[in-house]
Amino acid sequence: MSGAIDDYVAGLRRELDFDPALASRLASEVEDHLRDAAEADPAWPSPEAERRAVERFGLGREIAAQFAIDAVDRQARRTWITLAITVVVTFIAMRLRVIWLDDGAISAPLAFAAPLIDRYAFIAALAVGVIAWFAFRQSLAALAICLGGLVASIGAGLARADLFANGAPIHVLLSASGEIALIGLLSFHVIGLGRRLRRTALLRREAQ
Amino acid sequence: MLTPEMLKGHLDAIVLAALEAGPAHGYAIIETIKQRSAGTFDLPEGTVYPALHRLEQAGLLSSAWTTPPSGRKRRVYSLTRTGTAALGERRKAWGRFSQAVDTALGPVLGGGRA
Repeated sequence: MSGAIDDYVAGLRRELDFDPALASRLASEVEDHLRDAAEADPAWPSPEAERRAVERFGLGREIAAQFAIDAVDRQARRTWITLAITVVVTFIAMRLRVIWLDDGAISAPLAFAAPLIDRYAFIAALAVGVIAWFAFRQSLAALAICLGGLVASIGAGLARADLFANGAPIHVLLSASGEIALIGLLSFHVIGLGRRLRRTALLRREAQ
Repeated sequence: MLTPEMLKGHLDAIVLAALEAGPAHGYAIIETIKQRSAGTFDLPEGTVYPALHRLEQAGLLSSAWTTPPSGRKRRVYSLTRTGTAALGERRKAWGRFSQAVDTALGPVLGGGRA
């Protein structure tokens, strides 16, 4: 039969499911703390001592909410750093493509749209990113717009240059691969931030 | 009456101060805080863990698992050099702040307004 401490630790682990590594580490630490507290209780060993130790520790949901708030801050920082690096790499890759690009290689349907999307989607992503940095750093919508703009710009740029079919030089291919890898990483971080924001909102609502 | 809300913003500095004497695990830290505040800061014990994690992420604390000969495996926290410097800074800032609050809340000397 599980005791109050086991139940509490299992509950806390569930509340911290947005960060499995943290959940695992904290579960061990909190269990250790609660066993110390229960052993210091005059009623030890008894279920009553365990129950009092859990009571003194506080609601698992409130503790998890505090961790979730910190996790949002950290994830937002990671996402912004990745966004900044992606913008720089995308800009460099764009310039390398333009230098290398043979206008004659652009196929007719792409000739008009692709350069416009390539340029203006990048500018839009940059503008939204700059505004969001100053005004809404944890805005998922702003980050999603930046991500969408960069995906559109990179997609159009790659289609425009048709790199692989036209045998682009290695530095152009490397920069394009860097863009694709960074977009993948940025998407991962934006999704992670969304998960943490939703979890924080839920935990805060439940803790009230 | 002191409420946990009043401690917000100061908990990190209080945790740093509790570790000044030497490395300790979470349970010992909360016990030190209770003793040093003579029971005034009777917080839910779990509130110390988000603070410990935050301070570790900021590089002000380091932690490691240890297994004492007599007992269970424990995560022990210690102040880093940056943490010691941060504690000094926070003490100075608190000294200035508390002095200003004392002055602002103190009785008006030498009569009322003209």
